[in-house]
Amino acid sequence: MKTTNKLYLIATILVSLAFSSCKSEDPVPENDGELITDVTLHFQEFDENLDPVGDLISFQASDPEGIENGQSPTIDIVTLKKGKNYIMTIDVANSIANEDITGEILEESDEHQFYFLGSAWEGDSAPLTYAYDDPSGELIGIQGIVTVEELTSINNSQMRIVLRHDLDKNYPGADNPNFVDFTAAGGESDLDITFPLVIE
Amino acid sequence: MLVNKFIAHYFCMVNLKTGILLILVLLLSLEIQAQDCKLAIRGKIIHLENNEPIEAAYVWVVEAQDGAVSDENGNFTVKNLCSGTYTITIQYLGHKDVRDTVELKSNTFSKTYRLEEEAMGLQSVEVHGHRDAVQTTTAVSSLYGDQLEESRGENLGESLKRISGVSTFSTGNSIAKPVIHGMHSNRIMIMNNGIRLEGQQWGSEHAPEIDPFLADEITVVKGAETVRYGPEAMGGVILVNPAPLPTKTMSKTNLNLIGGTNGQMGNINMVHVAGSDKIKGLGYRIQGSAKRSGNVRSPGYFQENTGVSELNLSSSLGYSSSKLGVEAYYSLFHTDLGILADSHTGNLADLEAIIANGRPFADGEFSYEINNPKQRVTHNLAKLKSHYHISESWKLNFQYGFQLNRRLEFDKRRGNLNEVASLDLQLYTNTIDLYVNHTHKNELSGTWGVNFIQQANSNVPGTGVTPLIPNYDMMNTGIYAMEKYSKGPLEVEAGLRFDFRTLHTARFINQELKTADLDYQNFSAFLGGLYHISPNLTFNSNIGSAWRPPNVNELFSEGLHHGAAAVEIGDPNLKSENSYKWINELQYDGRKTHLELTAYVNPIRNYIYLNPTGEVYVSLRGTFIVYEYTQANALFYGVDFAGSYEFTDQISGYLKGSIVHAKNTDEDNYFPFIPASNIDWGISYDFAKDNNPRTNKVTLSNVLVAKQNREPDFDYAPAPPAYALFNVSYQKQLSIGNDKLNLGLQVQNLFNTRYKDYMNRFRYFTYDMGTNVLLKINFEF
Repeated sequence: MKTTNKLYLIATILVSLAFSSCKSEDPVPENDGELITDVTLHFQEFDENLDPVGDLISFQASDPEGIENGQSPTIDIVTLKKGKNYIMTIDVANSIANEDITGEILEESDEHQFYFLGSAWEGDSAPLTYAYDDPSGELIGIQGIVTVEELTSINNSQMRIVLRHDLDKNYPGADNPNFVDFTAAGGESDLDITFPLVIE
Repeated sequence: MLVNKFIAHYFCMVNLKTGILLILVLLLSLEIQAQDCKLAIRGKIIHLENNEPIEAAYVWVVEAQDGAVSDENGNFTVKNLCSGTYTITIQYLGHKDVRDTVELKSNTFSKTYRLEEEAMGLQSVEVHGHRDAVQTTTAVSSLYGDQLEESRGENLGESLKRISGVSTFSTGNSIAKPVIHGMHSNRIMIMNNGIRLEGQQWGSEHAPEIDPFLADEITVVKGAETVRYGPEAMGGVILVNPAPLPTKTMSKTNLNLIGGTNGQMGNINMVHVAGSDKIKGLGYRIQGSAKRSGNVRSPGYFQENTGVSELNLSSSLGYSSSKLGVEAYYSLFHTDLGILADSHTGNLADLEAIIANGRPFADGEFSYEINNPKQRVTHNLAKLKSHYHISESWKLNFQYGFQLNRRLEFDKRRGNLNEVASLDLQLYTNTIDLYVNHTHKNELSGTWGVNFIQQANSNVPGTGVTPLIPNYDMMNTGIYAMEKYSKGPLEVEAGLRFDFRTLHTARFINQELKTADLDYQNFSAFLGGLYHISPNLTFNSNIGSAWRPPNVNELFSEGLHHGAAAVEIGDPNLKSENSYKWINELQYDGRKTHLELTAYVNPIRNYIYLNPTGEVYVSLRGTFIVYEYTQANALFYGVDFAGSYEFTDQISGYLKGSIVHAKNTDEDNYFPFIPASNIDWGISYDFAKDNNPRTNKVTLSNVLVAKQNREPDFDYAPAPPAYALFNVSYQKQLSIGNDKLNLGLQVQNLFNTRYKDYMNRFRYFTYDMGTNVLLKINFEF
């Protein structure tokens, strides 16, 4: 009987220990590090001598609370001029965690690539053409050259910009900035935004 | 209108049942035509106290001067008897002798004898290991012996598919959740050696944290068992039980070695069991298993990043004297598993693109490497159990269980974030059971008890992702009583339980602390009966009410479900689900024929499900579909059947299958992810001669799965077409001295058939596994 009593005593102690030792921790707010809240397109017009013409013009798409809140992002209308050449740079940021994501994309340049789709770029009569012009020479799309057709009759169009992550850059066709079948190269979309375009 | 439909459906089942009854009667009449002196007395010997089989009891038929010794399952047969009246005596050390007079007319005679322990304190008292058999009047099926051996190397969900009425809800080939009669996750319960397994079972891609190797028997209770096991056991219970610890001096080691060609899988398991020769009644067991596999091959390509690495341990130490029993048990489950890279889609457009392609875009290659996305899960379970015999018929039981579950999920992220889990949950669970059993010989027996569950869930900070579910503390108290009355061929059982649960949650949303305090309470009850129509034919029926409080994810989910292109939103105002399950089973155990037929109806009030709202969220990342947790009245019903027949001494066949219907009766449509109708049948040829009891047989089997025609209104892709798979297996048992060697060779998906299963969430992204050849070696020494 004595051993029985002892066993139950030990059991009681163990149980009370375990019960007091586990209460859930106080929650801690998390900064969503992955989230992209702001995408800015910077256009710098340049002439035949590659000299800049006029001021840098910028257009933004922003979704300050991220995906979960379900509010639609606000997206600026992009306005470009017929027959002009622009250097387009893309700036990606997370305003919640105050993070520069452009730098992260450049660090993992072998895993990221932008594609430029929608009526602005797809098809023979598309008003815009795009060529990758990243300083490192890789095909990323953080910097590129956008040319607006001189003779286009299109005034309104859609610029769809997709950022692919973890794709196979050697997949046949993946080097085309207007690659419609980009999903076939694998990976997933980190960004998929459509900017309305007005051509003046 | 609805009632009429329901009655019509039920009538279908009744007719089916009548049909099977007719077949049974026919079979019975066939078997009765046996010659006069080729009759046999068959029986089963079990402990009165816990229904455990008794091995090596001595049976003597006085008039025939012939006897037999019961085998490890307690079964015995005395053959070559003429019809007439016989006196049977049964003797077993430490137990009272049984003397019975039987009238032998046909070859279907079979009887169960319960042996009662002799008065305690005598020199001859035999102490036996304790494993409480499931004493329920509801439908129960078990996986053990050869069948369990055949399933070795598979995860719990896959193994249990061998039981009719059980299927899996899976995410690829490495994550499989068992489904009983269309219910899974929080609607069924898994018991790891008597402790309810508490992991993050709410997630569709969260597999049960348990190693099937620790069991020597896995039992599925198909009825509502809330009274016995607590809330959530509404769809059924899975009991994963190790063998009882030895109480005599002995030592046995069991080694399993398994290799599979698909995924180049290797699996090793070792169990060592011993009984002390110094201290009588002291025994222990130690078990460990390890598994490694790489990318799975589907017909024509490899599924990238589908490797698994698993390491499991379990051990127990027990002491039994005639009055007191104590057992300490610990189990560790650890897994690292890769998630098919292509299943991590960024948005709805990505998901639609891969669905349209039907399979991953790349052919992939073989690799053991496990990259992001991946899961890392560790589950610790410790228990202390003790019982004390207050008197001959009263037993006091105490059980304490401690569990710590850690779940880390890694996503494909940018830069250093790849090293950081995007979901990191730590869940502590304490359970205490205190109950008394009373057993009186062939009269009343019962259990009364209290059960406490305390749970604390924390999101480990630093993930860089707003947690999907809040931190919470849960406390549940249950008080219950069950009584069973047995008289002759009839057993009647009833039980009642009351539960009270409190839930406190806390989380930050947009830097703002949000807390909630909720409580739930409910009564549940059941009434069941079992009737032995003849020694071979048993009918049981059980009606049970059950309830389930809403789970934390159903109340508070708020976020993106990766790979499903879905935003899932909880509802803190959800009410508890209330279910009523009526289940009937007819069992026939003949000399050559075995049949089991189960039919059930299960209406559920306030069934909680994830409903597409028809809205989409547009974000910078693209478009997502919005789902909300909502409630509706549901009706589940269906049938399971399983049968086998020995055509000759060499050739035998089996057939099993199940049909489940799950309707949303409010909306008059179907719930998603309910298993399609299926049939599994096969033929075996046994090479063994009559006098050689060792297995030496080859089996050809065929699995037929219908297209799920009862589809929900919305799904990303239509249900895949019906498919047929063929499998071949060969099993041989050899003896090397006193040691036993079992060899098994299996070919699964013999023709490398390209198929998709409706119950696999990865059917959106890929075809299922192709041919797999497995070699299984089991050595007992």
